[in-house]
Amino acid sequence: MGEHKLIMGKDIYFWNFIVLMIFTLFEVGAVFFEEWPGTDTPVSLTAVWAILIVVGIVKGFGIGAFFMHLWDDPRIYLRVALFPTLFVLLMLWGIGLSNPEGVTGLPSWCTPNWDSLVTER
Amino acid sequence: MGGGGSSDVKNAVWMRALMMAGLILGIAVTSYVGLGVVAAGAKHLTWEDEEHHYDEIKKKWQAEITAGNITSEDESNEFYKAKEEAHHHEIEAHLSYLTYRVAGLAILFVGIIFSAFLVISGVMNSSQADEHHDEHHGHDEHEHHGSASPIIFSFGCLLFLLGFPDFADALHGLMMGSAKGTIGDMSVSMIGLTVVTIGVANWWREDLPFNGYGEQLATSDPFAGQHIRKAGIWVFLMSEVMVFATFFSSYLRMRTEWCTKWAFDKGTCREVDVNGDGTFDVIARHDLHPDYVLTASDYLRPGGAVGTGDFWTMLPGAVNTFALIISSYTIVLALKIAKSHDYKVPTGVFGKLMPTKKAAVRNYLIVTLLLGTMFIVLKLVEWSHLIAEGFTFSGAGETASIFYVATGAHGVHVFAGLLIMLYMIFKADTVEWNEDNAQGVEYFGLYWHFVDLAWVVIFPAFYLY
Repeated sequence: MGEHKLIMGKDIYFWNFIVLMIFTLFEVGAVFFEEWPGTDTPVSLTAVWAILIVVGIVKGFGIGAFFMHLWDDPRIYLRVALFPTLFVLLMLWGIGLSNPEGVTGLPSWCTPNWDSLVTER
Repeated sequence: MGGGGSSDVKNAVWMRALMMAGLILGIAVTSYVGLGVVAAGAKHLTWEDEEHHYDEIKKKWQAEITAGNITSEDESNEFYKAKEEAHHHEIEAHLSYLTYRVAGLAILFVGIIFSAFLVISGVMNSSQADEHHDEHHGHDEHEHHGSASPIIFSFGCLLFLLGFPDFADALHGLMMGSAKGTIGDMSVSMIGLTVVTIGVANWWREDLPFNGYGEQLATSDPFAGQHIRKAGIWVFLMSEVMVFATFFSSYLRMRTEWCTKWAFDKGTCREVDVNGDGTFDVIARHDLHPDYVLTASDYLRPGGAVGTGDFWTMLPGAVNTFALIISSYTIVLALKIAKSHDYKVPTGVFGKLMPTKKAAVRNYLIVTLLLGTMFIVLKLVEWSHLIAEGFTFSGAGETASIFYVATGAHGVHVFAGLLIMLYMIFKADTVEWNEDNAQGVEYFGLYWHFVDLAWVVIFPAFYLY
């Protein structure tokens, strides 16, 4: 349990909480900037994605590792937590990203009446 | 659990559940009257005034057009500007009214469900004879503590979901006053809910006296030596990961197809022959913006395509994000104190709020419950604003569908967590959580952190991007 490790007199839960709050503040605050602060350069879609993914990974790690005790618990729980990762990645790649024409490009038996309405150029 | 603990749970303890229910219902009704009736009533009057003012200004603008002084396309004249300003004020007044009305109704709704949950379990358990446990019996580490409650609960869920399509149709018909639905159509789901209630009440009865002795350990790999309940909750959470992965991958698939403002500005919108008449257009299905698809973030985010997004529209989602993180921390604090052997009373105000270990655990759980309840209330307020602005199934199509399904499924998980939390608070207030039985708080905490984790993905995907 992380309460036994003290950093500057506070346990790991407290510092994890502070980090999560700061990153959330950064995540929400970043949305208010259409241009990089101090410049006229617009924030690109790629940059938005990068920021959101990095913040999400940091927050996910903080919650999983310390609040859910995966850092200290027996490794079997970490393996259980990572087990569905393969399936999630397969879903994101196989369903989410591999078929950009997903809505309009599915076979007729899968999307009744839709294929008759949409014809790709 | 099989009730192998040494604490006797008297009927008087169960009656405390009724007292808690009464307290919660009282707070809910008071909040409803304050927010949903008094404040919302005042806001409604303001809205009516603004609506009346807008109608007058609009008539003047139309009169000027009829007189030929201006044209309907001219947006630079003062009449048009005044009309737009009046319209803006009218929308603001409407949304302000909705905020108070929906918040009041949501608090009342949540309060009634909380109270019913406590009353049913309290009454069902207090109506049974007091049980007396054998001390030695309770300390047997190898005693079997299997429980039928999860099976009963799951069977009830199965029945409820089997009958849900008819249940939803019938409920909709009854609410709308049409002859489409009858009470009979709701029977399968109602039986399912009854079975769920029996399962939950039985679960309470079995778990409340549990003092930590007799926790079952797994005897074979890969969990050998680990608590079976902990392994079970982790496997359950991973099945939940797959549920949310389904929503997210569906969203990604649709999102890569949509011609959003991002894609439109970048020039990557794909043109298709939507009507089959040889006219190739980008796929956009919203009256507000025929050029591109509008997502929830276009309404909520500053700089979104609708143009109404600002600090205040982002506020509910942002506050909810912080609320979930804070609630994750408070439940960790509850667990930490429950497991501690030497509780030190804090100084100052915290010392008065948490004079004992039992009170500290209970109060941190109450704070977690309040934050979770606020999450639900703010989410419903936000939904009401989006619906009022036209972000509906019929108005926005699948963009609205995936948004409401994904965030709604997450909201249902939060709400289910709140009901479990009510039980946790009840146990903290009566039997108490301590270093021996704190694993109950730990396992529930794992679920609650998972709900927080799911929001870490949903919030940026649906609100910010």
